[in-house]
Order: sequence, then structure tokens, then C-alpha cells
Amino acid sequence: MAKILAVDDSVSMRGMVAFTLRGAGHEVAEAENGQLALDMARGSAFDLVLADVNMPVMDGIAMVRELRAMDAYKGVPILMLTTESHTEKKMEGKAAGATGWLVKPFDPEQLLATVKRVLG
Amino acid sequence: MATVDLTQFHKTFFEESLEGLDAMEAALLALDSGSTDHELVHTIFRAAHSIKGGAATFGFADVAAFTHVAESLLEEVRSERRGVDAELIDLLLRSVDCLRAMLARSSSGQPAADADSEALRGELLRLASGEAVAAPAAAAPGVASATGWAIRFVALPHLLQTGNDPLRLFRELEQLGRLEVRRAFVLDSAPARLAELDPSQCHLGWELRLHGAVARGDVDAVFDWLDGDCELVIESLPGETSATAADPVAMAAPATAPVPAAAPPPACETATVSAASGEGSSIRVDIDKVDALINMMGELVITQSMLSDIGENFRPSQLERLREGLLQLERTTRELQESVMRIRMLPIGSVFNRFPRLVRDLERKLGKQVRLELHGEHTELDKTVLEKIGDPLVHLVRNAIDHGLELPAQRKAAGKPETGTLRLNAYHEGGNIVVQISDDGAGLNRAAIMAKAQQRGLLGAGEEPSDAEVAELIFQPGFSTAAQATDLSGRGVGMDVVRRNVRDLGGSVGVKSEVGKGSVFTIALPLTLAIIDGLVTAVGEERYIVPLTSIVESLRLGAEAVRRIAGGGEVFHFRGEYLPLMRLHRAFGCADAVTEIERGIVVVIEDAGRRVGLLVDDLLGQQQAVIKSLEKHYRRVQGVSGATILSDGSVALIVDVGGVVRLGLRAKAA
Amino acid sequence: MAGKRAAKQYQDERPAAPDGAAAVVLPADCRLAAQAALQAELVAALERGADVALDASAVERVDTAALQLLVLLRRELGSRDGALAWRGASAAFNEAAGLLGLARILELPAAGPA
Repeated sequence: MAKILAVDDSVSMRGMVAFTLRGAGHEVAEAENGQLALDMARGSAFDLVLADVNMPVMDGIAMVRELRAMDAYKGVPILMLTTESHTEKKMEGKAAGATGWLVKPFDPEQLLATVKRVLG
Repeated sequence: MATVDLTQFHKTFFEESLEGLDAMEAALLALDSGSTDHELVHTIFRAAHSIKGGAATFGFADVAAFTHVAESLLEEVRSERRGVDAELIDLLLRSVDCLRAMLARSSSGQPAADADSEALRGELLRLASGEAVAAPAAAAPGVASATGWAIRFVALPHLLQTGNDPLRLFRELEQLGRLEVRRAFVLDSAPARLAELDPSQCHLGWELRLHGAVARGDVDAVFDWLDGDCELVIESLPGETSATAADPVAMAAPATAPVPAAAPPPACETATVSAASGEGSSIRVDIDKVDALINMMGELVITQSMLSDIGENFRPSQLERLREGLLQLERTTRELQESVMRIRMLPIGSVFNRFPRLVRDLERKLGKQVRLELHGEHTELDKTVLEKIGDPLVHLVRNAIDHGLELPAQRKAAGKPETGTLRLNAYHEGGNIVVQISDDGAGLNRAAIMAKAQQRGLLGAGEEPSDAEVAELIFQPGFSTAAQATDLSGRGVGMDVVRRNVRDLGGSVGVKSEVGKGSVFTIALPLTLAIIDGLVTAVGEERYIVPLTSIVESLRLGAEAVRRIAGGGEVFHFRGEYLPLMRLHRAFGCADAVTEIERGIVVVIEDAGRRVGLLVDDLLGQQQAVIKSLEKHYRRVQGVSGATILSDGSVALIVDVGGVVRLGLRAKAA
Repeated sequence: MAGKRAAKQYQDERPAAPDGAAAVVLPADCRLAAQAALQAELVAALERGADVALDASAVERVDTAALQLLVLLRRELGSRDGALAWRGASAAFNEAAGLLGLARILELPAAGPA
């Protein structure tokens, strides 16, 4: 199945996302902030990146911007996991190059449906 | 698709939420003391934000609702629409407390919200401006279905760089109904020569037909992430009915926003109970510690293979190598043991961190000025000790501020700075961790303590105890020094409880004080509860282990040194005092033990300044003992704190020094 | 551009196909990240001959960007009366081209009613 990078500073959220995706047969790597995610993305080709917006060290939006600047990640789907219901945050994420978003709270079924949707 | 059991993440969620609240509290306190670091606001916001997200995801709707309001308020601060003042900090600090309580209730399966939390939420709501409570996106428009849709979809050049591949969109549309591509076209923006194309730019457009009874909302949902990335027109097919007629879509709100935190099934909460009470607690381990373990395992494997090499065809000439290998095995095993024990060790800083808040609250309540100094936050303690040392420390800190430190005016009159100093210090000393709580207050009030002790019958009328003995009095059960019990110290928890709690951890607590200069409370704790250094003793056929740290001396006594006292007890003379003698074989009912004093050995043990002699048959040597709970495997036995397995495979019981000393003193008193 | 240099090498290494068309084999993963190289190869093929032969039988993953490259290749070939020939196409490739409605433009032989 797909190689997915899950980025969230919350261990429980990341755990839930990773567990759910692994259960669906995906290979999941985890990073706790944008900076670590970038390091991992450089060393490996992910098919999908799921990232929280608010994180210490490097937030999700800055991370998307950096990823999109990398040739290998120009067209890779990146979904923001966000509790922000504010449209500005979504727009900021979009402007940085995010593919779309998944609004927290989401349950495992919603997550899988969205991932399936993105990966086709 | 198998459903994912979310309860398995609850414990992590609670743990990290509590950590987040600690960080939030520390940042609030920093703001309160005048820091203008904007990163503090971010930290606070992030903590609230994460808790909200997690709470909603894992089905703790009350916690999510509460945090949502707090977060809205914080968002105003973060975006500098609201300033930070003492009132706001107070409110947020109370919110931190409230959330801790809510999380505690949630983790034990109770409803998180109560009257207090609702009242506080109301306060937060009133302070936050109205827009903050805005609900998530509205429901999907155009619920009515048409029998088909005409879609004109033209990519903007950057479409592909958002990861939104039209292939994916078309696949989604295919799921809704029969998709017909009427026309695919290359846009004028495309370069004439292939060499000039930037492959990441998209220059394609499509005219599509989607046949079937598809809701407009479902079509919109396919394109919901593409606002600003394409030109899109969706029209109902001619002659077919639709609720929403032709409208060039700029795609405003996402058509199907994920459902907001619907009330979780109650099953979640009951599951939490079992998760919280059933499983053991978890521990986060520094990766360095794990690496150290893995290194050690590597060495162990090498040694093992070397030894098995020797073992396979052993020749006497290899004796030296065998010895070497065994020595190496011993060394590695010891290191491995230390590393494993270190996994349970956590820095005391996590406990110290609660004190800035406590001190702040007490200052306000009591009208005192206190400067808090924390030292040795990195000193590591066994996780179990760490969890249980918090309450005694809180009590000692309260006590120091309440009774030790004077009011500013009094301090000034005594020629001291108006602000008192309270110092918490943690450090290693020998095989112990020492935690000191010192203040530069008034010191113990000898006269008041003696008066109280006499009143309580703890002290005879004519007695003139030494200062050390007076200090010991405050640890006596039922003793309370405050002339008038304040609501801080007078909660029925006295120093005796502090001492008992510390003793339960295998530690001791004492105090030194100087009038007018202050007091120092010293808690000594064992490094770990899982292993003790013990003296193996023989009593008949049984083996008992006496913790080495509690042993004062081992000696042989003549029969004449022991005196029988009224009530059947025995005492012996040791360094100027009479100590009760306990015959272990009698206390534990061992057969075939030495009964003549002069043939056995007396081990003098001490617990919190009180000593007792134990009569055993013989001393067999020192050994580190890994403590196994007797309660878990058998049942609680008085005078025994646990069991261990000796190198020959037999079981030895570990003497509970505190319990045995109490037993001995009771016998003496009887 | 690194791609151009790579293209020069291919020019030397790859003989023209027997029918005179310059042949290009599409890689298994044909997505955006791989397209600088693919584009260079296609451009080199365009420079080499009037006709271009494509082999998409190894393609496992393909995206719109890749198909757009081929559409523009076809367009440029057409503008100079060159022909596009297919040596083969995998099911994944055919499916994607069909779904995007590009099979006919690309003159894919196996393309059904698209």
C-alpha cells in the first residue's frame, strides 16, 4: 500500500492516525514536528503526508511550503489535520501548497475515507 | 473494514494533555511575572489547541467544549486582539485546574463537566468575544438530487502543485455516477514546444458529464479543496431538475465539512474505566536510555557466544578465558541491570514544576512574599517514588510558607528582607536521593511546640527535651502546630502523615531548625524501590533479607546483656540506650532457629531515628535483591515488605524495617 | 539543466527504432517527481526523428502531469507531421488516459470508446 508520513506533536493523535493507517495496510512513518518531517521526507519518498497545523519548532504550514519547494514533493498530496474551523487557516495552508484538509475531530473511518480519496 | 478501538489512545491522550497543562501553567506564570515573550502565548495556545483536538477526537466532548472556549480567548491573545492582564491569567490558571479535574474525571469514566466547570466556561465565554464561538461550516447546499450534472473544469497552472491530481478527482466522480469526458482540451497557456513546458504546471481543461441521481453537495465535495486552483462550472443537465441551478462555482465553504464532534457512544467512557484501572501505567523513556540498553544487549550477546564457544569443547587450558568471560558477563549484567533500572528513573523537575503555581497562590492568600528557588530539577527518581513524593512535598512547602515564613512587616522588623526565600533542592547522596525544603523564616517555635505536646500528652510536664527531640515532636501523630488551623495546613494532614508517606517509600524525613533563621526539612529517599542492597540472614531454615541502609550494626551479645521487662519484652543495652530485642524466629514463627542469645547475632536496625535489635541465627552475606511483591503473589504479611529469589533459587523474605521497628517498640511499650 | 545533459547521453545510447521512430520507454513510476528526466528524453526523441515511438507497458503509476507531457508531445509532433506510435501500454496507463479523456488525442490503440 502507500507510504505515509504522519506529522503531529500530539502523541495520541499521531498514534491514532498511524495505527488506523497501518491497520489499513499502509506503511506509516511518524514525525513530531515539521522540521523532523522534512528530514524524514528528504530521506524517503512518501506517497502522502498528513500534518497537524500547530506544532512547535516548525508548524504545518511552513512545512508544506518547504516540502513543495522540494522537487520530489511537488505533486505529492499533503493533507492538513486541523481543528481550525477558520477559513483563513485553511487558505493559509492552501496557499502554502496543501492538497486539502481533514478537520479534527475525525474518526478512523473518516481518516481512511479521506486517505483513500487522496490516494485514489 | 475493521473498526479502530480508540480507547487504546486514551491513556496517552490524558498523559500528554496533563503535560500540556503543565506547560500552559508554567507559561502563564512566566507571563504573570512580567515576561513578554510571545512564544509563551504560542505555547499556551498550542496546549489548549492540542487538548481540544484530542478531546474531540477521542470522544471527550465536555473537555473539547471547555477547551474550545479557552482556545478562542487565547486566539484573541495570539492575534494581539486582546492584551494579557492579571485577570486573564487568573482565569486561565483556574481553567488549567479545571481541565486537570475534568481530565481526571474523564479518565475514571465519569462525566467530565460539573457545575464548577460549567460556571468557569461561562466566565470564559463572557470574556471571549462572540465570534469565537462560531460553529463549523454549514451543512451542504443543494441536497436535492438531479439526474446528472454538466461540469466544466479548467485547471489553473498551479493545480498539480497542490497535490490535487485531476485523475483523482475524476475517480471520485466515477464513484458518484457514470462519468463521461465530453472533451479534454489543451489551454492556450500551454507552450507550443514540449521543451518549454514546466511539467508541474497544468494546462488542461475538461468538459464532463456526470450521469445519475447525484446530490449537488456530493459533486461539490469532490472539488472542495480546489478553491482558487481551478475554474469550475457545475450545471444540472438540461431538462433535468435540480434544486440549485447553474451557478459558476467559486467554491466557498467546503460542502461536506466533517461532522463536528458528535456525542460519542457512552461505551467509550466505560471502556476508559477499564483501560485506566486495568492496565499498568506507562512510562516515556528517553531514547538514549534505550540505546544504552541495546548496546549492553550487544555486549551480552558477544559474551554469551564466547562462553558457549568455550563450553562446546572445553579444555583445561581455557580456564583463564572462561574466568575472563564470566567476569565480563558479570560486569555486563550489572551494567544492564543499572540501565534497566534507569528506565524507571524520571527527573524530579516534573514534581518541582507544580510549586511556582502553589507558591503564587499561597503568597496571595497569606499576604506573604516568597521567592522560590528550585535546584537539582534533573535529579532522577524512581517513577513510583516520584508519583508518591508529590503530596508530602506539597505539604512541606505549604507548611513552610504558612508557618515558616513571616509576614513582610514581621520580617522587616526582624531585620530580614521582606521577601522570604523558599528553596527546594534535590541531589544524590550515597545510595539515596535527598530532597530538601528550606526556608529563611522564623524557625520552629520551641515553646509553642512544647506547649502543644504537653497538651496532647506527648510530653511530660517537667521534661526539657533537646532541640532535636522537640523537632521530632512535630512528626508525632495528631500534632498540629498552628495556633489556628488555616485552610492551608489544617486539612487534617499533619507532619505525621508526611512521615508515614515518605516511610512507605522506604525513605525518611527529618527537620533542623534555628530560631529566627529558618528550617530545613530533609527527605531521604531510596534510588529505587525495585532493588535493595540487603544482608541475607538465616533464621532456622528460612532466609530473611534486611535492607542494608537500615542496619546500624551487627553484634554478638552475651545472655547477660539482655533484660526481660514487664509485659514479656526483652531489651538490651546499646550505645547508651535500651533497645527492644526482637527474636525474628518468634515474630515470624520459624522452626529450628537459634534461641540462645549468645549463639545468634543481633542486627541493630534503625527507622527514622528509632532502633530495634533483631536476633537471627547467622549472617550469610550481602546481596542485591530484586523486590517481588508478596501481596501480588501471596498476601500482605506484617513485618515483611516483599520477597526475592536468592542465587540458589530459594525464596527469601525482605524485612519491612519500619513495620518491624514499630512492632518492636510496641512490645517494649507493652 | 541536468535533464538536457542526460538527454544527450540517451541520444548516443539509443538507436532509432527499426521503423525509424525514436523510441522512449516510460518508467514504472511516471509521476511528477520523475518528469524532468522523462521530459528531457521526450524532447531528445523529438529532436532525433520525425516519428516517436512510446512504450508505456511498464508504467505502474502515472499522473495527469505525465499525460499532459505526452499530449504536448503529440501536439508538437502533429505540428511537424510526425507520427506517434505505441509499442505497448500497461492497463494502469490505459485506465488513466481513458479516465482523463486523453486516449483518443494520444492515439492509444487499445483505447476503447474514449
